[in-house]
Amino acid sequence: MTKDKAAPASGSILVVGGGISGLTTALEAAEVGYEVFLIEKNSYLGGRVSQLNQYFPKLCPPTCGLEINFRRIKDNPRIKVLTLAEVESVEGEPGNYEATIKLSPRYVNENCTCCGECADACETEILNQFNFGMDKTKAAYLPHEMAFPARYIISSVIKGTEDEKRCKDACKYDAIDFSEEPKSISLKVGSVVWATGWEPYDATKIDNLGFGRYKNIITNMMLERLAAPNGPTKGKILRPSDEAEPESIAFVQCAGSRDENHLPYCSYICCMASLKHATYIRERYPDAKVYIYYIDIRSPGYKYEKFYKKIKDDKNVIFIKGKVAEVEENINNGNITVIAENTITGEKTKQVVDMVVLATGMQPTLANAKPDAALKFNDDGFILNDYKKGGMFGAGCANKPADVVSSNQNATGIALKAIQTLVKR
Amino acid sequence: MSVEYLVEPDLDFINQVVGLGGDSLKKCFQCATCSVVCPISPENKPFPRKEMIAASWGLKDKLVGNMDIWLCHNCGDCSTLCPRGANPGDVLGAIRSYAISEYATPKKLAQAVNDPKKLPLLIGIPAIIFFVLALITTMFGDNLTALLGELWTHGVDKNIIAHTNFISTWFVDLVFVPLSIWCTVIFALGLKRFLADMYIDAVTQGKVQNPELNIKELLKSVPIVLLRIIKHEKFNECGENQERTTAHMMVLFSFISLLMVTGIFFFVLYLFHIPGPYHQYNPVKILANIAGISLIIGSALLIKNRLAQKDQVSAYKDWYLIGLVLGLGLTGMATEMARLAGSASVCYFTYYIHLIFVFNLIAFLPFSKMAHFVYRTIAMIYAEYAQRQ
Repeated sequence: MTKDKAAPASGSILVVGGGISGLTTALEAAEVGYEVFLIEKNSYLGGRVSQLNQYFPKLCPPTCGLEINFRRIKDNPRIKVLTLAEVESVEGEPGNYEATIKLSPRYVNENCTCCGECADACETEILNQFNFGMDKTKAAYLPHEMAFPARYIISSVIKGTEDEKRCKDACKYDAIDFSEEPKSISLKVGSVVWATGWEPYDATKIDNLGFGRYKNIITNMMLERLAAPNGPTKGKILRPSDEAEPESIAFVQCAGSRDENHLPYCSYICCMASLKHATYIRERYPDAKVYIYYIDIRSPGYKYEKFYKKIKDDKNVIFIKGKVAEVEENINNGNITVIAENTITGEKTKQVVDMVVLATGMQPTLANAKPDAALKFNDDGFILNDYKKGGMFGAGCANKPADVVSSNQNATGIALKAIQTLVKR
Repeated sequence: MSVEYLVEPDLDFINQVVGLGGDSLKKCFQCATCSVVCPISPENKPFPRKEMIAASWGLKDKLVGNMDIWLCHNCGDCSTLCPRGANPGDVLGAIRSYAISEYATPKKLAQAVNDPKKLPLLIGIPAIIFFVLALITTMFGDNLTALLGELWTHGVDKNIIAHTNFISTWFVDLVFVPLSIWCTVIFALGLKRFLADMYIDAVTQGKVQNPELNIKELLKSVPIVLLRIIKHEKFNECGENQERTTAHMMVLFSFISLLMVTGIFFFVLYLFHIPGPYHQYNPVKILANIAGISLIIGSALLIKNRLAQKDQVSAYKDWYLIGLVLGLGLTGMATEMARLAGSASVCYFTYYIHLIFVFNLIAFLPFSKMAHFVYRTIAMIYAEYAQRQ
């Protein structure tokens, strides 16, 4: 192992998922000389982090950490990035895998300069998935302002319509190509890192919390989009029913997490997320009241504990120990009553608020879409790493619920594991 | 709120509650979902979250005399939505069962009723008693008739199929009348302590506005609550309970009817010397038959619902009671059928079994789950008085 300092030419690493963990693994491996294929199912890299307004530990906007990573990718010829790419199957054994990758068409080629003429010409609108469907975007669109690769994408819904022609005519750079078809490619790699991340738990499944029935009940990730300057409200936190500025907001912790009927585990970050959200609201609305209903606040580690203490000192942030188990909507004004038992006083509390945020947890993406590959999962759909066997590893939130810091630490470690698989051959 | 309270865990209490069907209680992490989703839990000090932590810590004193455990009608809404599978509904059921044993004396008997290993004893005692009584009736019946005449036979022809020709009505009543008195005395003793505990708990926990007990007001609550029980109002408020309501109503009304029937026949026999069996068109007999059938159907439905309940535990105490109720109905009706069909041997045999069931019902009433009808009624009356809603 120590004899040859150069990486073996044959061994390359497939990293599945271009979120913060995948980016980290890919870069760490590539920057010590290994060839990496980084594939991402979305049209852009950055994953969940790119959807946040600010992220821990320093409450930076996502551009802060992601841009430097994108820069490193651009500068590194050893990383091949494939977007709109999904793994169909992985066959073989450690050191010798064959992965079949499905590539979906973007209908926009590398000539694109992001001039935006196609979007102006396009008349069809589609729900903006980046903003969890809270607004619409043109069917020819840039996924978000800082999308990397910086290239437009066209939804297949306008294929064969008048809009197809309009977009094509509007493009001065011959960047639009509707002849693109879905295709499969095959990659030979030595190890595979699954950094497939997480999805917000489907809050409509939590029957008693009213999401989907009452407009002014949103999820924590939706709040991130509302607070983000590139979000549907340009960073204003407004309640959905009447776009009013909320004067009171309730946070429902453990919405679907630590619940055997939903996600039996703690999603790790939702407590910190809600505390962070309290800062979003407090800096925008100095008089607004924030109610946080919790079972117990989990603020792991010194820094998070300090952050929690700081929020606790704010008189306008009220902590109620007791899980919200029932919600009611006032049909006249859209206000929501949250009902919980304050377990400290032993009283049932009914608090009327303008808006409710469900602190929904994270479900591993693969829980609902198991790939055709020899992976081991726990009951909740997180990848169980088999270091003895090696070859394939789960990193970041595909492996366990985690924040950005621990995901990056984990992803760095997994980069080493992937390299070890190659070198052992 | 910051009153100093020294926690003295009663480990034996925890183990007993676990054994009575509350084995999930330690899973509770106090999120209080249960107290909110419970459709009949009051606004002030709602249950069952506080009962869950008290049980977990072995705080027996905060539970046995706590009226709230009886306000719960075990619909299981809390258990369905419980994020931990801690089944508060079952835990409360187990605590109720413990409370019944706690207030019943003698303790040994209370333990025996809740112990499946003691079941042969509970069946064996009446089996022997009635076997001996049957022997005396059939072997010395003629001698006793000669000695006592009409007084002994109540004028029943010794050649027809009549229960008294197998086990004399005198013997049966000589068993059950003292048993009923014993049952009443034990209930009275238990209730005396229960009422005192419930009162102290309500005052110290702030469940009642005025600590002074106003008997007049308390009595006013009685008819309100009795009507509520007859209508199964609270039962119906329980979300997941709709199916159980019909079954429970059938069983309750059957028992009330059969109690009335027994009372009427008892007085008719001893005051007017009109012995059974009575004509099928006798209105009281009609009521008895309807009640008997509805007892069987009701208890069968209860069993069906219990078997269908995936998220509810059924402990021995539950099966003992339902089995008893179904057995009472089945043997009672079978005895009558066999008599009408003219089969003396079948009729007498099923009657013998029936008497064993009746003995179990009455003798162990204050000790079994059946005692809930007394404790729950009392607790509901007090809760109504205390405006605990």
